Amino acid sequence: MSTDASHEVRPAVESAAGRAPRTANDAGQQPGPKDGPRRKGLSERNRPLWMLIPGGVLMIIIIVVPLLLGIYMSILNLDQYTLRKWVSAPIIGVENFVEAVTNSPLLHAVWLSVSYSLLAMVVTLPLGIAAAVATQNAFKGRALIRSVFLIPYVLPSFVVATVWRTMLQPGGIVDEALATVGIHVGLWLNGPQTFWTLVLVQIWASWPFIYLLALSGLQSVDHEVHEASALDGALWWNKLRYVIFPYLKGPLALAFLIGMLHHINNFTLPFVLFGVPAPSDVEVLPILTYVTSFQSFRFGLSAAMAFISLVLIAIPLFVYLRAVKLDDADTPGAKK
Amino acid sequence: MRFKSTTGLAAIVTAAALALTGCGSSSGNGGGSTSSDGKVDGTGKTLSVLVNVSSQYPEQQKQWQSDIAAKFKAETGADVKFETFASANDELTRIQTSVVSGQGPDVYSLGTTFTPTAYATKAFVTLSDDDWKKVGGKDRFNPATLGISGPDKDHLAGIPFVSRPFVMAYNKDLLAAAGIDKPATNWDDLAAQAKKMTKDGTYGIATGYKDSFDPWKFIWAMSVQAGNPLVDGNKLKMDDPTVKKAYETYFGWLTNDKVVDPASIGWSNSNAVAAFASGKAGYLMMTTSSSIPTLDKSAVAGKYEYALMPTIAPGQTQSKSDGDAASILSGDNLVVADYSKQKDLAFAYIKLITSKDEQLNYQKIFGDLPANAEALATLTDAKLKPMADAAAKSKATPFTGAWGDIQLGLLNVTVQSIPDLAAGKVDGSALDTRIKDAQNKGQASLDRASKG
Repeated sequence: MSTDASHEVRPAVESAAGRAPRTANDAGQQPGPKDGPRRKGLSERNRPLWMLIPGGVLMIIIIVVPLLLGIYMSILNLDQYTLRKWVSAPIIGVENFVEAVTNSPLLHAVWLSVSYSLLAMVVTLPLGIAAAVATQNAFKGRALIRSVFLIPYVLPSFVVATVWRTMLQPGGIVDEALATVGIHVGLWLNGPQTFWTLVLVQIWASWPFIYLLALSGLQSVDHEVHEASALDGALWWNKLRYVIFPYLKGPLALAFLIGMLHHINNFTLPFVLFGVPAPSDVEVLPILTYVTSFQSFRFGLSAAMAFISLVLIAIPLFVYLRAVKLDDADTPGAKK
Repeated sequence: MRFKSTTGLAAIVTAAALALTGCGSSSGNGGGSTSSDGKVDGTGKTLSVLVNVSSQYPEQQKQWQSDIAAKFKAETGADVKFETFASANDELTRIQTSVVSGQGPDVYSLGTTFTPTAYATKAFVTLSDDDWKKVGGKDRFNPATLGISGPDKDHLAGIPFVSRPFVMAYNKDLLAAAGIDKPATNWDDLAAQAKKMTKDGTYGIATGYKDSFDPWKFIWAMSVQAGNPLVDGNKLKMDDPTVKKAYETYFGWLTNDKVVDPASIGWSNSNAVAAFASGKAGYLMMTTSSSIPTLDKSAVAGKYEYALMPTIAPGQTQSKSDGDAASILSGDNLVVADYSKQKDLAFAYIKLITSKDEQLNYQKIFGDLPANAEALATLTDAKLKPMADAAAKSKATPFTGAWGDIQLGLLNVTVQSIPDLAAGKVDGSALDTRIKDAQNKGQASLDRASKG
């Protein structure tokens, strides 16, 4: 992972120092085959870029081509009646987009997806960090605890959803447990509360991911740093707040990003928990797109929906990527 | 290194291209030749058949498949390769892929309510008179089962394979204890009888409001029996009072009559079967012969019987439907892919498995009723009598590509009403809004169907 903070700090400094004259050199003279005495190793000039071709070809086949097909589908009137000869399905331009925005629950679904993902993220972040910090120092049984923490993460989404659905059924084990202490929550799997059910189960299933990345950040804090802060007399909270957390910023920013995308794209969890047709309070983007495609057979419309949601997600994603500069290896995510 | 890169690139591109064409190569082989005596010679050919996997009888299914493959080989010399799908979604994906790519299985087994959608794709053979002869003649089938094979009797694509009509089961002891001498034949009586049986943790009716199919079948049945077949030409009639009455009756079991377990708002059909099997319910609604194995191993073994579901709509004194509409026309149809290069072989296979003996054999193993009329007539088991009746009195759901959407809309009204059901009261105006929403979406879908 490129955000492994401590290891990046020194190499980054070294390479910055080492590169300055080199770049000047590059600018000064045309490098050529006779560039003998200067050993550049695998520097920018003759990196074997052709080795990217297999990966590149695969990327084009499995990402770019389907994406373009998807965009093409979104301007077709493609449904069960035209599916068979889909290439010659009537082109209807932006009609699908207009219908998706004005006459479908798309915007509602976007709102649900984003808000649920954000809520789940906001709760899982402190949970994951707390768990990572708690298991940072060695104690008896730490390995066991760490493994137990990972259980929700290694369980397939389908299993998680099935188990929760069984527990949350009306009159199920959760209701009975809560009833013994006098709490009656009502329906978990239908009605307005479903949104919170989804958030709850998502939190349960995804906090270990934050925990993992936070743990990797903690591992990278050098001993010297701990010693130095101890010598300076920092107490645990100050040490955590001003010394340790900055190390976590990079990994956690990445975790936030991946987590959000994962939640927004999560189909299995709501599908297995609530089934289709889903209660309108959990008709999130993937469910809506699925129902439009595979229950109503409006492939064109659902392609338009998918494209709109792709754009909606890509905008903040782009801004965010620029802001944290995850794409720039020379600038570590962790602020010094 | 540089000078090698071009050759390297070329090698890689070639390899990738080879790998890709490998995926795309088709296994097309010619059709079986038909000799003068009608026998199809398929020596050296392989017929590909897509069927749903039987979760209840997986071992028996494998056995049946290898038996039938051996018989088919003896008859035509061709092999049969079975492919299975586990769920309706799985099936749909397979069909879509095959429809778009023009290759895939030769014969598909489809659920009846899915047949209109499949027909709408025009990817399956509409049988000519000649084709019907090749599968043993149209008259070998129970006429009722042909009701959902195509839009009209001259355009049929689905060849009936088995019937799985819906009936209800009743607990003889509970009915007798409540002084009821025979099961209800109209929905009003059903609720009244159920009330008599409801006491001390026992409920009159077991049904699952959270099931993915049952709710729309109740609404469809009650509406049809009240004279509203839901689809009238290009008009959807879901905003008709009969539909609202149907919902009110169906929800009323829980909210007014209180004859179902309140927990059933979270039940699917299998939960209802379990409740009935434990002896805690008088009636089990919307069940098929597939519940026999479960019930025969349960507390109610020997104490239950099947009966037709009520055929007289709520608030009515007689059925207003032509035909009794005791059940939706349910079961499996076989369709032959239009792109198949061995259609004659496919028809020969269908002829084999819809023959009287094979149909009876299939019934014995899996419990599904024969679509073959002669085979159906020979069934004498008393337990199967109501099901055979229901098979004859089944009514097809409207044959339109929009049915999937309509069905979804009907189901969605129930899904969105469940919080109200839990609260014990479904508000009339909220119900109106939900029905109207379903009506609008369904009508839009019908409009597309009429253009399609």
